[in-house]
Amino acid sequence: MNERDVIVIGGGPAGMAAAIEAALAGLSVDLVEQRPTLGGAIYRQQADGGTSPVQSKMARQRFARLSTALAGISANMRFSSVFLGLDADGFVLIENRQIGRIELIRSRAIIVATGAVERILPRPGSELPGVSTAGGLQVMLKETSRAPQGRVLLAGNGPLLLAVAAQLIRLGNPPAGIVEAGDPLRAAALSNVGLLSHPALLAEAAVYLKDIYRAGTPWFRGTRLTRIEKVDGALQATLCDRHDAVRTILVDRIGLHDGIQSNRIGLPAEQTRTGSAPVVVRAGDCREALGAVAAEADGRRAGLLAVSLLSGIATDISVAERAIARQRQAQALITRSFMPVAGGSHLASLPDETLLCRCEGRTVGDLRQLLDRPDPISDREIKHNGRFAMGLCQGRFCASNVAELVALLRPDASKPTPDGLTGQRWPIRPVSIGALTRAAPEDNCED
Amino acid sequence: MNSFRFLSKNIPFNEGESIAAALEAAGIRQFGRDAVGHEIRYFCGIGACQCCLVRIDGVIREACVTPARAGAHIELVGADHE
Repeated sequence: MNERDVIVIGGGPAGMAAAIEAALAGLSVDLVEQRPTLGGAIYRQQADGGTSPVQSKMARQRFARLSTALAGISANMRFSSVFLGLDADGFVLIENRQIGRIELIRSRAIIVATGAVERILPRPGSELPGVSTAGGLQVMLKETSRAPQGRVLLAGNGPLLLAVAAQLIRLGNPPAGIVEAGDPLRAAALSNVGLLSHPALLAEAAVYLKDIYRAGTPWFRGTRLTRIEKVDGALQATLCDRHDAVRTILVDRIGLHDGIQSNRIGLPAEQTRTGSAPVVVRAGDCREALGAVAAEADGRRAGLLAVSLLSGIATDISVAERAIARQRQAQALITRSFMPVAGGSHLASLPDETLLCRCEGRTVGDLRQLLDRPDPISDREIKHNGRFAMGLCQGRFCASNVAELVALLRPDASKPTPDGLTGQRWPIRPVSIGALTRAAPEDNCED
Repeated sequence: MNSFRFLSKNIPFNEGESIAAALEAAGIRQFGRDAVGHEIRYFCGIGACQCCLVRIDGVIREACVTPARAGAHIELVGADHE
């Protein structure tokens, strides 16, 4: 059987860097990417292959370096192919969407680099068309170099909102406003001298803020978006500031974003013993969500780790580890700067009709009702009886919110974990049973 | 310019663009309703949330990560709206 040495899942910076390191050491490498091009969400390329005006120069250079290095090695690229999981017999399951079938692949090592998903807090009305994640707006800007038409509001928490705002400005449609739960200017001025040791970060922030200031885009700090309603064919957003003053704003599009979290639901566990089962190493944001620079370093670390495990050759991962540690420190400083301003818990103040889990249509009121009983309910029962973290997205968008709200609603019982709610098993993406029954080991098909 | 069909409409697209990007450019933001009655629409852009599912030549796919293809016929996964 034609077993390869390493299969890398994901064509973002972590996956690309891992593939490069493994191939440079002489291992055979396959790289699996769900889209037809490399880059992941962070380096999503313009559809026509041209230079996107919304990617920063630094980001373009990092992607160009990775692309050049990857072109110089012999990795087998599997585009439009979706990773479904690692089965109990050690087969990697890949849905090859180019030919419409599932392939079973044997590999001595699997490097999983599935990136991050955005954290999105529930808000009444966030299920409406015209509301997307801010990152979702951003990948579309990168792909098309067109700004969405109409008035755009960005809301939530974190520096990504500023990046997307600056990109909208560059494409000629400045946002109607940026709603930020934290007050980063104040927090940075008061306590974050540590940011001075990360000049690249400060320079990036300065560019965004300059563009936003020049465009006259209002930045509502210490403010939360609490409700979205359809009004006269538009979206009415209700904003609540730190003094509980409420105002509404009428827009056409809303991009929500409340942070970044690892995209790791259903991934195989790390497995670094060599033997009959394949080695499994996680890399990049799916291991620890620290952004593109850390992801690339972590990809190198994972690639080198796979090399040493498969070939027994000692590799030096200390350089990569130091780069990751530096990014971890930078991210911690950013998180502190963007800490939401006190004003009660967003989750605790949600009205009962708020959708917690969009896939299954489960609300805050449904969760209250489920928990309103004398005997404690287990994490698995919250999923199986309550249908939370159970739908098509497999809990990627609701599990962490459900876990936190459960903890708020029953403070004396044990706090559920997102993983405990969702469980950990493949397939990690919905797939038809018909396609699964036709799956065959790849090399048998070729015989 | 290349195009695909969305229900009865011809939707033009640029080579390499996703179905979601082409529908967005055509001003289409709602792709019918799902099994629990919510409007299906673009959300995460990375194939994770499963909120933009459409039926492409009979196969259910995420509009956000599926490249547009000339001549493809795109239908709704669930019920049409209104």
